[in-house]
This record gives sequence, C-alpha cells and structure tokens, in this order.
Amino acid sequence: MSARNITYPQLLETNNLLQVFTDESYWLCVTRTVQESKLFPVPAYMMLSYLNAFYRYPSLLRKVETRLSAEEIGDRARNMGIKINNPPMSWGLLGFYFLGREWLINMGLLRPQDAVEDVIYVLDFWKRFQLSWHRNDGHITNKEFGHRAQVLPERRLQVFHADMYRCEAGDELHMAAANFMATVSQYGFLISCESRISLCNTGPYKIDDKREMIVRDFMDLAENDLPWLDGVGADMPYNNLTVPMMVKDCHFYLMDDWGSFESKPDFRAEHIVGVGLYTSDPLTEGFIPVGMGSRAELTRTYNELAAIAKEATNKLWKRVASWTRDQMMDAGALMYFGIFKDIAHVAGTYEYEDWMLIDERAQRFRPLLNDEYARDVLAELVGYVSLPSQRAHDYTMMQHNNSPLRMFSPVPYSILSGDDYTTTSGPVYPGSTCLPKKEDRYRTSRGVLPLAEYNRLSRGFTPKGCATENRFLDDAWLKYNAGTPAARALYENEQLLSRKLKGKGAGLSRADVEALADKS
Amino acid sequence: MGMAKLYVDNDKYGDRAKFPTVEAYHSAIKDLVRKRLDQAGGDWPSFVFDKSLTLITADDMKAIEAKLLKAGHRFDYSAIISVQERPEAYKPVPGLGEAAKDYSFEHPDAPTAPADAKGRALQGIGDNVVQHAANTIGIARYVRTSAAVMDYLTKGVPPETIAIIDDSGGTLTAPILEHFKGVICMGGSTRSHLGILAREYGIPCLMNSKIKGIKEGDTVELESSAAAKTAEAYQTGKDMTANIWKHEKRG
Repeated sequence: MSARNITYPQLLETNNLLQVFTDESYWLCVTRTVQESKLFPVPAYMMLSYLNAFYRYPSLLRKVETRLSAEEIGDRARNMGIKINNPPMSWGLLGFYFLGREWLINMGLLRPQDAVEDVIYVLDFWKRFQLSWHRNDGHITNKEFGHRAQVLPERRLQVFHADMYRCEAGDELHMAAANFMATVSQYGFLISCESRISLCNTGPYKIDDKREMIVRDFMDLAENDLPWLDGVGADMPYNNLTVPMMVKDCHFYLMDDWGSFESKPDFRAEHIVGVGLYTSDPLTEGFIPVGMGSRAELTRTYNELAAIAKEATNKLWKRVASWTRDQMMDAGALMYFGIFKDIAHVAGTYEYEDWMLIDERAQRFRPLLNDEYARDVLAELVGYVSLPSQRAHDYTMMQHNNSPLRMFSPVPYSILSGDDYTTTSGPVYPGSTCLPKKEDRYRTSRGVLPLAEYNRLSRGFTPKGCATENRFLDDAWLKYNAGTPAARALYENEQLLSRKLKGKGAGLSRADVEALADKS
Repeated sequence: MGMAKLYVDNDKYGDRAKFPTVEAYHSAIKDLVRKRLDQAGGDWPSFVFDKSLTLITADDMKAIEAKLLKAGHRFDYSAIISVQERPEAYKPVPGLGEAAKDYSFEHPDAPTAPADAKGRALQGIGDNVVQHAANTIGIARYVRTSAAVMDYLTKGVPPETIAIIDDSGGTLTAPILEHFKGVICMGGSTRSHLGILAREYGIPCLMNSKIKGIKEGDTVELESSAAAKTAEAYQTGKDMTANIWKHEKRG
C-alpha cells in the first residue's frame, strides 16, 4: 500500500516527537533508577507488557476518543491526581508501545514501516494529551521545561497553599504525615509489582524564597481495576490520595517525566513544613479534602490510613508470595500495560477485557521470557541501546551518549514515494490471564460501584471546571479578567470545600493567601 | 528457490545483539520467520499481522528455549521463584536451605582490615542512605527469600536485626522492613526502592554494599553516621562510602 493519506509534514512531526522521546528515554533509563526484585520476575513481565502495548494501545486509544478527545482528557487530568499523569501518560504510553515495536523489529517480525497509521496516531494522541495536561506551563513534557511540571492553575494552588497545616520535625502531624507517606509508598511498590507507578510528584511551585510546594499523588490503592486488590484493598476508603507538601530550605531542581525528583540539599522528612490531604477520581469535582477539618483530624486520618495500608500490604504480600511465576508475570505485565487505563474511566469506556488481559498475539512470546533473556534483551533495548535496529550510521552522535545509537526506529520517509507499508496491527484480539477474574467492585468517590455503573456515571459527568463555559478560562485569561463574574464563579467553585478560601473569589495574590493561612 | 529474506536482513549499520542469549534467540526467531513467511507465500503485508499469528506460535518459542537448554545452557535468575519452579533450567541459588547457616556474601572487592582497638574488623563498605547521629550495631541476619520473610512475619523479626539483603527492591521485605534495626543491601543505589523506603522509615541503611566474611548471627556495625551519598557523588563517581565492621566475639 502506498501512502495516500499520510503527508510529509505529518511524518516529519511523527519522527520528531519520536526522536525527542528517544533522547529523553535514554536519559531516564540510564540515570534514574534500576528496578530490581528477587520476588517478581521484573524484566520478564516488562517485556510481556511491551508486546501487549504494541498490539493493543492504538485500538484502546481510538476507543477512548470515541467519547472524549485526548486534549479533553488532558483538561480533566489537570484537576485530578489519578494515573493519567507522570509516568503513565508522559512516558508509559509511548515507552511501552515503542519498546514493543523495537523488540518485534529485532525479532524480524516487524519493519519500521509497519503499522504506520498506528505509530502516527499514538504519537499524535500523546502530543495532544501532553500539551493539554501541561498547558499552564506551556510545554509538552517535564523534560522540555528543564525537568519541571507546573500543571496546576492558580486557583487550585491557592487552595492547596491556604489550607495546608503547618508542621515541623518532631510534632505529631509531621510524624503522622511522614509515616503515612512511607507506608503508602511501600504499599504502592507492592501493588505495582515493584514499579513506582503508584506514585507521582509534580511541581515545584514557589511559596516564597525559602519554601516550595510539590504535589504527591498515591494512586490505585483501593479495590480497583487491578484484580489482585480484590479483598486486599477493601478497607481502603479512597482509591487515590494526594498530598500537597510544602518544604523549607530545599529546592527541587529536577522533576522528571517518571514523576520522581532531585533536590538540593537531598530531600529529607525534616524539610517538610506543611501538608494537606485530598482524594480525586473521574467522578469528583477536582480535589476533595480528606480529614482536613482540623489539624488533629488530619493527624488522625494519616494514622488511620497508614494502618489500613499496612494491613493491606501484609495481606497483599501473602497473596503475592503464593503466586506462580506466571501469575507474577501477568500481574506485572497488566499493571505496566494498564498504566494509563484511567483514561478509559474518564471516558467511561473501560472494559476488563481491554485492559486486564494479555492479548493472544503477545502471549505467544511468553515462553521466551526466562529471567536471563528478559534481563539481557531489556538491558540492550533501554540501557546499552545495542540491538541491531538501534544502530545508526557511524557519524551519528546520540544525545547524552555520543554513540551512533537511537533507542527507537523512525518511520522511513520512503513510504511517501511509493514504498509499501502497513497501516495497523489491527483490533484487540482475544486475551487471557492466569490471575483470578476481577470481581465487579470498583471503589470510587461515589461508593463501591459495579463497572457498568461506573462507566455510566463517567459518561454523564463533566467537572464544572471542564464544562464548556469554563474550559478555556485559563490563567492567561484570568490575568486580565480577575474582576469578572466568570472568574469569580470559577474560583469560588474551586474554593467550595476550602477551609480558608471559601467564597474569596479570584482577586487574591499569593501574599494574600499566605496571610490567610495558618502560621503554625 | 532460496529462503525468504527479511527486511532487517539488509541492515547496513546493525549486526548482532550484544549478549549471546539475545543473539541466539533472535537468530532462531528470524530463521523461523523466514521459513513461515515462505510457507505463507512470501507476501509480507498479509503475513505481518494476520497470518503470523497462527504461523508463529508459543510452541515455536518453547522449542527455541528447549534447544538452548539442550545445548547445556542454564539461565541466570533474577527472581527466586524462577529457580524454584524450574530448577532444571536455571543456575542454582547458592546458600539457601541447609547451606544458609554457613553462608556469607563474598564480594571480591570488599575492603577488609584486622580488628581495631575497639575490636571491630572491617568487612566491607556501602553507600549510606541517610546520615544518622550514631553508628548502628546489631545482629546480622540474611533475608533472601519470601520463605524467610514469611517466617519473620509469622514469628516476628528478632530484636536488633541488621538485615542483609541481595535485593534492592522494596517488595520482598515489604511486610517486615520497618522492624529491622538496620539494612545492608548488596545492590542498587541510595535511589533504589529499598533505599527510598529505608530513608522514609528512618532505618539506617547502606546500599550497593560490598561485604565478605559476615555470617548469620555475627554482630555487625554500620557506619550510619557517615555522610549520605549524594546524587552528585553518583554522577561524578566521587568515592563516598560508609564502613561495615564485624565485632570480635568476646569470651
């Protein structure tokens, strides 16, 4: 087939997006962290997830866009701390898809000019989502912003800032918050089969010359899409929890597209001087305060939720310890593959069969995935960049490395002059799993729902901030229109559940907010 | 008629994979694809996403692995369960079961020195996660398998336990980590999940440790009062380590 529907500018942009992503992926993979586990066969499940991603993502993204566009989902994502942030959307979507593609090329099962319409579409979807999610800072990725993520609008930052309870090392709230974050982080690593995708940090935001605020999301904690949390997560009353955290004398100089940070000096709990707690999901009007009625209530809430997370960790650990290797593979692969499944919840198109099964086209390769081959092929793909397809001509100097290498193969332009190519890997094929089937219970902000009801409610719900009349009222507009009724309504909607800012409207400066906030 | 040629057979710049197992697998799979493409009539567009599903199967992949094992290869393991389920396919894990009592990690680059005036013999070094006010002294206990974790989860972690762990992940020891007095981890960095969790729980922890001669039950001391290894130290390769000593047995 010749490229009748693909234009040169389109392909130029496709290859640019892919190359920029390639450069950053190499930096992330070699300088951030190595995931290792003696419990889970991590490289093996990762490799399986990449194939599932390659075969299924294009169809699943198209299905989501039958109801909501990528950029509309980006609008929603800005107002929530759920798994449509970093790393799910910024890296997982493209990383997993293109790692699957590159692996197949090296097995001789694919050419760079196969599934070209899928490739173009996946990158285009990602671009539109990322630009929308990052619209307040005006970038496409944290990398482009010098490793920073200022995604939230002023109205939300003001509420986080104003309502935070101040704390210092050694006081009860500080200890409770630190213990909560340690316990829930650990629970998150176990839920995510050793990966850190239950956690996301964004920011920093400036409070004053000595203080910064970052926003930490802890996601997918209750009974949700992940079948291994059935029962285990039943006592967790919130699926997602967000902690806005203010630190003093610690500058976050790097916030990467995996949602992890670096700071100077190295961040320690002692730096924390303010905390809050919120929940959100596709059915909430943005962030809903949790235990924020008083300082004592917040302390108690942190402790209660930490105790629930601890108990769930013990239960889940015993469950995992009883699993076969194939069950561990499935859990890890589906958790990875399903990294941004929440876009389907936002759109109301989520189906278990789409997101929690291994496609039969991917299953074929499972017998290859012993620990050694999986470790080595993964290391070649993302660390050494040493597979034959990743080698460019000898004059090439890869970013960060100077070697003639390229993690992901571009689409050859020759398809525009008549070279044959194929368009798509096709629809979702039947899938399977050796994990127990997911029970029809999903913890949401409207209670524990069966999936059909969750989808129905999602399809009928638009948060006020994303409604047609408000959607395009951004901070650039607000700058010159703070005195208008529309601005007042927009801010008051955000302030509805705020203990300090309720009804204060759109005119406050950061200094005004600081003046209203607790002093100790 | 010759066998079908694959698109990637004409690669001007790329040749072989770096690791032998990867090259062996990919060569075998490409051979298979050439054969099956021939059988399908050689038309790539109809093969790549449609016919290949029934022509390239899980049984083919099993056969590729079986061939490597038949040639005497045994796989390195990363997860203990892989060896437990298929001991015939993997290299054995040393020091488990009965052998655990006398087992010790023996890192070839672990620095050692005879006992000092305080009776502390240097047995290795590690990267300190957080600087604490004092060193940490406790009893060395190897924690390497989920069976060991389950045992401690059931009976409780003995007091004063300094866990020696060869897994920089945060999941193996998840239910018992907070009960350790200290941690010596053989892998990872201070940014690994185990390091992050130890930092958040306030447990003295050395990552990327190189030790030798420390056995189950020995009294060990971590130099947790040393400076924490910084991100810059990793990036610049600056030497920044904390000591690990064994206390001489008294009486």
